[in-house]
Amino acid sequence: MAETTTIVLVVFLIGAGCIIAFMTAVALSSLGKPLPQAEVSRMGYAARKWWARILGVAVIIAFAVSVPWFPYSGAKVLGSEQHFKVVAQQFSFTLPPSVPSKTPIVFDVTATDVNHGFGIYDPAGKLVAQVQAMPDYVNHLRVDFTTPGKYVVRCLEYCGVAHAQMQSSFEVQ
Amino acid sequence: MTTTLDPRELSAARRVMWTYLITGFAIFALMILIGFSMRMEQAGWIAYAPQTFYSLMTLHGIGMITAVAVASMGELWYLMRLETVLDERLAYWAWGFIVAGAIAVVISVLAGQFGAAWTFLYPLPFVGTWWPSWATGFYLIGVALVTIGWMMWCTQMLGCVLSRYGGFRGALGWDYVFHRRAFEQSGRTPPPPQAYAALVAAVDGVLTGTIGMIIGVALIVHWISPSVVIDPLWAKNLTYFFGHAFANLTIYMAVAGVYVGMPRYADREYHTSVALAVAWWGTLVFVAIAYFHHLYMDFVQIRALQYIGEAASYLSSIPTALVTVYGSLMLVYRSRMRWSLGSLFMFGGLVGWIVGGFGAVLDATIPINSDLHNTLWVPAHFHTYLLEGVVLFVLGWTFMMLEERSGSISSAAVRWLVGLGFFGGGGLFLLGFYIAGAEGVPRRYAVQPAPGPELSGLASVGVIILLIALVIVLVEAIRLAAIARRRTA
Ligand code: HEM
Ligand SMILES: [Cu+2]
Repeated sequence: MAETTTIVLVVFLIGAGCIIAFMTAVALSSLGKPLPQAEVSRMGYAARKWWARILGVAVIIAFAVSVPWFPYSGAKVLGSEQHFKVVAQQFSFTLPPSVPSKTPIVFDVTATDVNHGFGIYDPAGKLVAQVQAMPDYVNHLRVDFTTPGKYVVRCLEYCGVAHAQMQSSFEVQ
Repeated sequence: MTTTLDPRELSAARRVMWTYLITGFAIFALMILIGFSMRMEQAGWIAYAPQTFYSLMTLHGIGMITAVAVASMGELWYLMRLETVLDERLAYWAWGFIVAGAIAVVISVLAGQFGAAWTFLYPLPFVGTWWPSWATGFYLIGVALVTIGWMMWCTQMLGCVLSRYGGFRGALGWDYVFHRRAFEQSGRTPPPPQAYAALVAAVDGVLTGTIGMIIGVALIVHWISPSVVIDPLWAKNLTYFFGHAFANLTIYMAVAGVYVGMPRYADREYHTSVALAVAWWGTLVFVAIAYFHHLYMDFVQIRALQYIGEAASYLSSIPTALVTVYGSLMLVYRSRMRWSLGSLFMFGGLVGWIVGGFGAVLDATIPINSDLHNTLWVPAHFHTYLLEGVVLFVLGWTFMMLEERSGSISSAAVRWLVGLGFFGGGGLFLLGFYIAGAEGVPRRYAVQPAPGPELSGLASVGVIILLIALVIVLVEAIRLAAIARRRTA
């Protein structure tokens, strides 16, 4: 998990670079010898057929690949795994002091006052999992910890004056 | 453009447009300074009490969205006025409601220190507040007034589009798409591209404005009588339904100016095609349902809605990538493009829209969203297509008007400076958000964990460069406006 955001950032930067380069090239083409619009349209529409296919396929593949990774397995694992209650309130978390590693666990997350976010950062400081902490509802967040150590919890939903200080931690053993 | 308006009607229409545009730019100028100060605060260059930071964050959010909405509304109103009859008085009433709402919001934040963020997510406006209760009321009523003004504009737009093009069937171009031969043989033509923007903005605007009013009224009732409680999940759905569409529609309104302006700069023709019509049908639907991505991390949300959210978020990029931006590239490719500030802004806006959209699509992928939700990645992508998208579209339209009326353009040196400032400085500003987001730095933190502050400093340097470019833009606008005035005098 820790490296996913690095990959996302790199993918984004490469993608953005390609988009900018391509669009700049199109813009610069207007400085050269002009082509009649009918000619450009003919070429453009032919190329668009392929562009449409590429986009369509990319969207379908991305969707299909992402589904198995959805974090909503909660309901399925309820009952069999170890549960830990998490309560968020302005401006602190009530947490278990420690949880076991290498065994599936479920955090039952709720809040008593306003919306908060339960964001777990691993010992290296990377965000590894999160879920909203909402009054009147319990969200089940399933996490399998592999590395023991101190995990920091930060609030990930704006909740008022000390939102940025709303932080806690637990030990993974 | 050929127009059937007589000079008096034309100048009345222009007055409406400039009223909206200048209002938008004035709010924008103030909000950008507030944004700059927030970024400097996050860098540790200046110090704010957290209350001040969050109040200013609230004002910046609602103010910016209102600013770009008002400016885009003025632009699109004028474009549609060239197509059909629109009553100026109604446009001024809508404008009046928006300005009244904006004033109420400013009072609520500056005098009352309201700071529940512009998304006013229930129950935050009422719990653990440092502002007086009247400030909450002022804020909610202010946003309601803005929404009423927006809905008045939408209703007027809807009425005119439907009567001008023959009901929904005509305005959507149904027969044009499905019975093309008969349609064309009868000598009819489909609505022009800008009319699709107007239709979609109007329909989705009325729909989501209504949703906004429902949650707004619920909150105002709770404000008056706290014993009336609201379901937090229901509130979240309605709030984001409204907020997402309001912010998103500004792009679709402003891009109408590109449909009209780009062909003029490129000296080419641009007409409605079947692809364009169908693309806007898609946009009509996706803008309304993509908001589910704001609730990805609410695991209690109905599961199917999460799937719909991801699908709609992906699909909403297709009309843009396949039709609007692609079509514009075909206009520019090996054309006799006249590059001026106006055309540079329009083209740059398309780049920003696509780049920001790419950042958004990544974030709209649920497993990735687990790592990016409510990190600075979110302001990263929306600032990309708002600052380097909508704002540039509106600036592009404004400069096209100024250039045409003054008969002159800015020098190449000015264009380079502005381009470098906007994309170099702006790029640096955005990069700060993107990297911090990938590092897991949360959004809406007055004081950020590492590496937030360092990146905020880097971003602030980018903002300074951008601000210099904006000052040059302002000077150029005034210069061109003065020439235009002399020419007409
Ligand atoms: C150079 C110009 C700008 C600067 C320096 C700036 C700065 C900021 C900063 C520092 C934040 C808070 C980020 C966080 O920690 O969560 C923010 C949030 C925001 N900005 Fe901007 N911004 C600029 C332009 C814009 C524009 C053009 C728009 C819209 C048209 C905009 C709309 C927003 C919105 C909606 C928020 C979210 C507020 C919230 O989280 O409640 N900004 N901006
Ligand atoms: Cu919080």
